[in-house]
Amino acid sequence: MRETYGKLLPEMKLADLTGKLIVIEGTDGAGRSTQIDLLKSWLEELGHAVLDTGMTRSTLAGNGIRRAKEGNNLGRVTQSLFYATDFVDRLENEIVPALRAGFIVLTDRYVYSLMARAMVRGMDPQWIRSIFRVALKPDAVFYLRLGIEQLVRRVVFSRGFDYWESGMDLFPGHDMYDSFCNYQAALLREFDRLSEEFKFETVDASADAETVFWQLKGEILRLLEGDSRKTFLSMLARGAAGHPLQKAEEEAIAAAARRQSVTGDLEFVSQAFAAQAPHGNGQAAIRQK
Amino acid sequence: MGISPGIRNGPFEVCTPLQPAVSTAKKRGEHRFPGKLFVVEGIDGSGKSTQLSLLHKWLESRGYGVVFSEWNSSPLVKDTTKLGKKKKLLTPATFSLIHSTDFADRTERSILPLLKAGAVVLCDRYMYTAFARDVARGMDREWVRDLYGFAIEPTVAFYFRVPLETAIGRLLDARDGFKFYEAGMDLGLSDDAEESFRLFQGRIINEYEKMIPEFGLTVIDATLPIEIQQSRVREIVKSHVATGTGWRPEP
Repeated sequence: MRETYGKLLPEMKLADLTGKLIVIEGTDGAGRSTQIDLLKSWLEELGHAVLDTGMTRSTLAGNGIRRAKEGNNLGRVTQSLFYATDFVDRLENEIVPALRAGFIVLTDRYVYSLMARAMVRGMDPQWIRSIFRVALKPDAVFYLRLGIEQLVRRVVFSRGFDYWESGMDLFPGHDMYDSFCNYQAALLREFDRLSEEFKFETVDASADAETVFWQLKGEILRLLEGDSRKTFLSMLARGAAGHPLQKAEEEAIAAAARRQSVTGDLEFVSQAFAAQAPHGNGQAAIRQK
Repeated sequence: MGISPGIRNGPFEVCTPLQPAVSTAKKRGEHRFPGKLFVVEGIDGSGKSTQLSLLHKWLESRGYGVVFSEWNSSPLVKDTTKLGKKKKLLTPATFSLIHSTDFADRTERSILPLLKAGAVVLCDRYMYTAFARDVARGMDREWVRDLYGFAIEPTVAFYFRVPLETAIGRLLDARDGFKFYEAGMDLGLSDDAEESFRLFQGRIINEYEKMIPEFGLTVIDATLPIEIQQSRVREIVKSHVATGTGWRPEP
């Protein structure tokens, strides 16, 4: 059963959120959006429905945040809460409905980025965490990690300096370059701390996009497989206990047995059978092997 | 940049960027800024805004530097709130968050700096409005209180207590119809706006009543004549601005 970080929003039911929530985190320049594009089309080819989402894409607050940032006079607390509004709007109206419909949700950044930004801006760590207690715990968080030197090189030479990415609201007296380096280094320190606290899976983002993609694919396959394997085992167990299985379920067991991909599981179930009166639909499936 | 490290006001206690301090004080203490902060609370139709504007006049006439800040009025945020209300995009959670964003902007941009400058700040509705409304909408009581952890504790928070029927009578005399969110129509309590308003505001009153001891709200009987209420309010305010270093303009 899916969980939140401690608080449940009104009307939010966690029971039937069968999809997968996969988070891609990392600092600026780590290649998050490139990887999300690659992963999305790969997963769709495999037959999974995918929703991708990210910061400031909410119907409610996306435009408001962009307008507020244009003026460069968005305060630190206000900024944190505006982003939280954007996040919760997407959580309730995009992420949860998609998970309920069985989608794989790929999110470019999650509450961790929002925490890191707020803490770098001096917000009380307890305070910012308390707000995001309403967030769903994801199935996996992949942290695309870049060292500070590479990060600086990538961002500066690809798209130049941006006021907010450079933390100019924090270091108004500095030039953009100094401010950028200070700010991104501070963010990186927060990310590394959060990585331990929330058990991120760190991926070395200094490698080329293809290598990173290859690594992510492996991790995600394991995640999806783990899940279908669990369903499969529960099917076998129900069959072994003599509960009637649906035709499709029997076929799935038979097919897996033919592929011999689950030999270990079958042995386990056969032993269970030996201990019990041999009856039930599961037996038929195993005999087909 | 900022506030001396001794001052505890939620996240504001932190003054040096990149070195976040951990808040040890969970409970808010009264702020130590030279200014004074007076806020009025109560349901719609309690007469709190009338009382606040009379207080405003009086303080100004006595030479205090007075600034007024209204709930839901941040220039940076109000377009988003308006969009959310007009298109009915707001859930109890986003309703709560967008109002806290608005409040944060007013706190950072005006309330906090003005208190530091020694002004008398008057707020029509404060965080207690959110505590009452958001919890009445089903939000977690503790979560909403945490959300406003950055808020500055007022010098005095007046609660204008009025029976629901009196408030409804006043509102019906003054205008026709209730607004969608104001009547809690988003909760589906009733299809009839007046009935929904009654049920929703009833819940809000319950929350206010619980907050009186929790936050030490100063209760004013809002069924009394306006003049009597105002003289009580002024008496209480006077005892605070007299002892304070309230900023007065040069004569």
